[in-house]
Amino acid sequence: SLPAGSWVPSVTPQDILYRGILRDSCTSQPLPVLPTQLSHFFVDHPEDAFGSLGKLLHQNFYLGDSKLRVSVHSGLPPCSGCPRKNLVPRLRWFSHLARDWLFEVPLGLLADCVHEDLLLQWASLLFDDSPTGGALAWLPPKDVGARTGRLVYPGGQAMNHLYFQDVVLEELPCARGSPAQFELNGRIRQVAAARADGEDFVGVRSDYHCGVWRVPGRTGAAPTPLQVIRTSVPASCLTVSPHLPGELAVCTQSGAVYLWSVETGLQRLRHDPQTMFFRDHSPWRWSDFTAHPRVLSCADRTGLQCLDTRVSPGGCHFDLFKVGEEAGCQQGERVVLPMYLGRAYPSQHLVTTQFSVYVLDERLPLVPVLKWAHMMKAPPLFAHLTPGGPGRSHKVLLGASRTQELLLLQYRGEKRGALGVLWGRVSSVPTSQPPCCRDRLPPPPRPRSVLMSPLLLPTGLAAALQEDGPRESLLIFQLSEAGDVFCQKLTHQAAAQPPAPTPGDKAPSPAAALRYRRWLKAFSKVCGQPPRHTRPPTFGQKRLFTRKELEEPSAPSALQGQARRWLRQAMRDGGCLQRWDPPPSALPEPPEPAEDPDPLSARLTASWCGDWDGWWEGRMSSSLAQRQRALRERRRRQKRARGRRSLSASFTSSLTYQSELSELSDPDTAPPPRREASPPLGTSPPAAATPPSPEEALLSSQSLRSRGIPKERRKTLRDYLAVWADGPPEPPELPGSQASQLCIPSSQSQLSSASQPRRKRPRMGF
Amino acid sequence: CKKGKWPLSSPVLRREKFFIFVFSGSCLAFVYGMVCLYVCMQIFSTVGSQKSKEVCLSYIQDAMLRKQWKRAAEFLTFYIESLEKDFSTEYMGPSEVIWRIGAEILCHRFHNNMKEFSSFIEQMKTLGVKRYLKVSVCLEHAFHLLCNGQIDEAYQNLSLAESWRFGEQTAIQDKEMKLIQAYRGLLDYYSWSKQKNILLEHDLSVEQEMHGCFRKAAMNLKEIIKIPGVWDLFVKCYVDLLEFYGDYSEAREVLNEYAYNSKFPANPNAHVYLYQFLKRHGESKKSLLSALKILHDIVPSHELMIDFHIMLQKSKKRKKRRLGLEVIFAVLDYAGWKENVKAWSCLARQVKQIKHLDWIKQEWDPRRDWWPAFHFSRYSAKRNWQENESLSYEKALVAGILLGKGCKAQVKRFRILKKFLNKHNPVYLRLSGLSDSSVQP
Repeated sequence: SLPAGSWVPSVTPQDILYRGILRDSCTSQPLPVLPTQLSHFFVDHPEDAFGSLGKLLHQNFYLGDSKLRVSVHSGLPPCSGCPRKNLVPRLRWFSHLARDWLFEVPLGLLADCVHEDLLLQWASLLFDDSPTGGALAWLPPKDVGARTGRLVYPGGQAMNHLYFQDVVLEELPCARGSPAQFELNGRIRQVAAARADGEDFVGVRSDYHCGVWRVPGRTGAAPTPLQVIRTSVPASCLTVSPHLPGELAVCTQSGAVYLWSVETGLQRLRHDPQTMFFRDHSPWRWSDFTAHPRVLSCADRTGLQCLDTRVSPGGCHFDLFKVGEEAGCQQGERVVLPMYLGRAYPSQHLVTTQFSVYVLDERLPLVPVLKWAHMMKAPPLFAHLTPGGPGRSHKVLLGASRTQELLLLQYRGEKRGALGVLWGRVSSVPTSQPPCCRDRLPPPPRPRSVLMSPLLLPTGLAAALQEDGPRESLLIFQLSEAGDVFCQKLTHQAAAQPPAPTPGDKAPSPAAALRYRRWLKAFSKVCGQPPRHTRPPTFGQKRLFTRKELEEPSAPSALQGQARRWLRQAMRDGGCLQRWDPPPSALPEPPEPAEDPDPLSARLTASWCGDWDGWWEGRMSSSLAQRQRALRERRRRQKRARGRRSLSASFTSSLTYQSELSELSDPDTAPPPRREASPPLGTSPPAAATPPSPEEALLSSQSLRSRGIPKERRKTLRDYLAVWADGPPEPPELPGSQASQLCIPSSQSQLSSASQPRRKRPRMGF
Repeated sequence: CKKGKWPLSSPVLRREKFFIFVFSGSCLAFVYGMVCLYVCMQIFSTVGSQKSKEVCLSYIQDAMLRKQWKRAAEFLTFYIESLEKDFSTEYMGPSEVIWRIGAEILCHRFHNNMKEFSSFIEQMKTLGVKRYLKVSVCLEHAFHLLCNGQIDEAYQNLSLAESWRFGEQTAIQDKEMKLIQAYRGLLDYYSWSKQKNILLEHDLSVEQEMHGCFRKAAMNLKEIIKIPGVWDLFVKCYVDLLEFYGDYSEAREVLNEYAYNSKFPANPNAHVYLYQFLKRHGESKKSLLSALKILHDIVPSHELMIDFHIMLQKSKKRKKRRLGLEVIFAVLDYAGWKENVKAWSCLARQVKQIKHLDWIKQEWDPRRDWWPAFHFSRYSAKRNWQENESLSYEKALVAGILLGKGCKAQVKRFRILKKFLNKHNPVYLRLSGLSDSSVQP
């Protein structure tokens, strides 16, 4: 493995794609002739020529402990200011060593190798599945009510140290004591933990080694390493059995699945480099436990199978999940992370893909019990189950690495995990500035850009449930790529109750009364001195509603009883209880009949006398007669004016018509300044009820002609007016400008086109 | 690498280039700049709209996380508008995103106001997005209505959805339609069973109406059952309907088809329903056992296995009693049964009888390497004793017989258990000759 301190920066997409651009930008002097430049290329840019191969091969070279002396070749002056110049000195040393013999390697072979390496690097940049499962584990407190749990996480410069840290769950979790520390022989990819028989077993996976630790039940007891295995192919999965102590499942990238028991060693269950259901290039494999301690689930990107360990390899198995039609999968959907949900329901499994989350029951294989699109941007690589107690929902946390997403999925099923409808609900958790729990002091708040930096990409996820009586909170631990552990607390809040309706208060509360009095005082102050001739205003809250008045009436007094008796008697007799002699001045004088009553007072008078109907009839008939007369007159005038009409007049016709219309619609009132939209929206102009006016006569054809209305429009206008005059008062068809104002915006009219008036096309100039 | 270069080069770089050319002053550069501008516009209109949609979504997410429902709703409106302008086709329909986000916002902002919800549904239907998620939206809305007690509205909603046609995918639509119809049938069944209860209280006036409900429900349920799938709910209701009207043969046929048709997925519930039906109608023990045998083969950990075991034990045939022992051992293999007193007492009774020691030995041999750690560890003995004494007794008995001396060491600490075990010592002594080889070190 790499010694500490020799950390070579990992490749980014820019390294592969922008290399040429970078080179361009940092070359400042004029370029030599192309053949010359090419001939010098290997010598002048060795890190470009041999860099990737050197990175591939450098592990197999022992350069000795003595310092290397490198004579700097003086060809073309090296470009100054190149950002990558001083980054990889070790690689450049290697290229210095290798350039003597590297020419002898056939170029085709070299190109193939480089190409293959680039492809691999590119694939791992797009989606790196090596941290699948996460490198953080939470060992919950042993006893119910205890508060000390343990976090297991990697650290160190090469992430090759394993830490067991006691953590006390208080308001915020804090570390207690110094962590137990183990140095390992490689970068830790995954930390898995499960509790069997009251003891925690922690499995640790690095690329070529897997190890298992036992953490005894007593608090403060040191964890003991139990066993280490070495694999020839990188391992891709390590899970710990929740049933039997010291049992684990291991998968390697060559397609082998092993049951690893600390006591009896490894048992190979399957070895198949091909994927299970259809061809997929990914060498990733996963394995987990099921409800039966001797049956293991085995997954690749195409689906899940269950393997029975009691029979010979390849013997008994059944399909649990298949990417395809049956589960309603999308094109290109692949299994990303399976998980056994045994702590919630003994026979259920969770399968996540890039798009969805599936819950499967192994008793009813191939048909998911629940499918739910998680809508995360990156596929979830970490999952953590926090089983809820009776009556509580189970919480599944899903975490993605590259996009730092975190998803909390709560679900609840029928009792005893029977097949049934599950209820899913999800809320995402923001990655806000979390307090650090590994450091004693919380770090200063970091800007968001720092939080998004690649060193803080999560590589592990764990959660602890904290219960303080009815309050339940979930502590989420996240491990960053740099080895920091962050913690976030989610507190359950009861759903906000809508404000209760205020009880019908008969008597104002003392507080309200006080406030009211204060308001009154302020009000009277603002109003200043009351005028002299009136009594000062007595807005007394007491006067309005005294407490006594508002109280429920007690038993009627003798006087009240007598009054009631009298009242009843009088009602029975139809007489009056007491003679009411109003003062003579109190009776309102009948209004003086006005000589020329305006229509309003005429109507009021009529209705006061009870003859409103007659007034209406008369008015209708008279107005109709007047209208007809006026129309006739207008036609006559129009006819007369037809002769001396000019062409230019037709251009102004619409305007004149407009003014006429508004004159017609309300002749009584002074016409407002002539604007296009005179009638208010939604009201019909008072058409039929217009009293006679001298201007009515203008409607005759002569007057129309005199106003320059062209012949063809005159007809339309007349028809229109005839309808208006004869028919019931209905809203006239509005000309374009007004009609368009009445229209509802199109988005609304889509909603309820039936109830809204239809949009009319604006007519040009009527 | 050139292939990969194009999509990753950001539009920002292009814009810079464009400006440089424009401001260099020469006429040619200006022309080139115009060309660049055109290209830029093209890129911005495709990349930009995509980008803006993503940004908009992230804003919505942010607002929702901060519980700013009003702001989220505003952003959602923008999002929908931007979708309407966009004619690119995406597979994973954004309509689902809109539906889920919108439902979430409405749920929080208007506290489940049904009116708001309905108008949102209407909007979802008229939304000009390519693939309308009819089934999920319609069914989810119906479920929401049901949860709020508006059964009639839900029913109306489902019947309305049946008349809705959209797009070209007729084959899928046909299936979806059947599903919606089946759920409507379920609601018919619900009202039928309500009226049945009224009828059973000797109110005969509802009989006609009830019959109408039956016909509608039966017709819809029957259709969906024909398609291969898992239709537990529908099958149960349909069988209930048929049974009430005495059509046993049809009910049996439906259940048999559902359980034994190979086109259907292997569904343990189908066998459970068949068994329950046979049991209700007093069928022969043989047919009951055969139904349970199949269930045992599919799901050895099913709850009915205890019944199966008891039935098998009552049988006189050796073979069946042997099977009974197998069943009870298989049940206890599963983690879910680990602390089930009933199962342990069944096994204890079996083991105590010791009529066929070789059977027990045969069952025990494959489990010898893992049952002690799985069931009879010191930790579990302690915990069982604390939590459930009767379970502890049963397990101790089984362990004492199967493990022999090794077990005694485990229960050393519990005096009462030890006494109990000593009482049954004769059994152990009789078995010890047989199980000496199985004693754990």
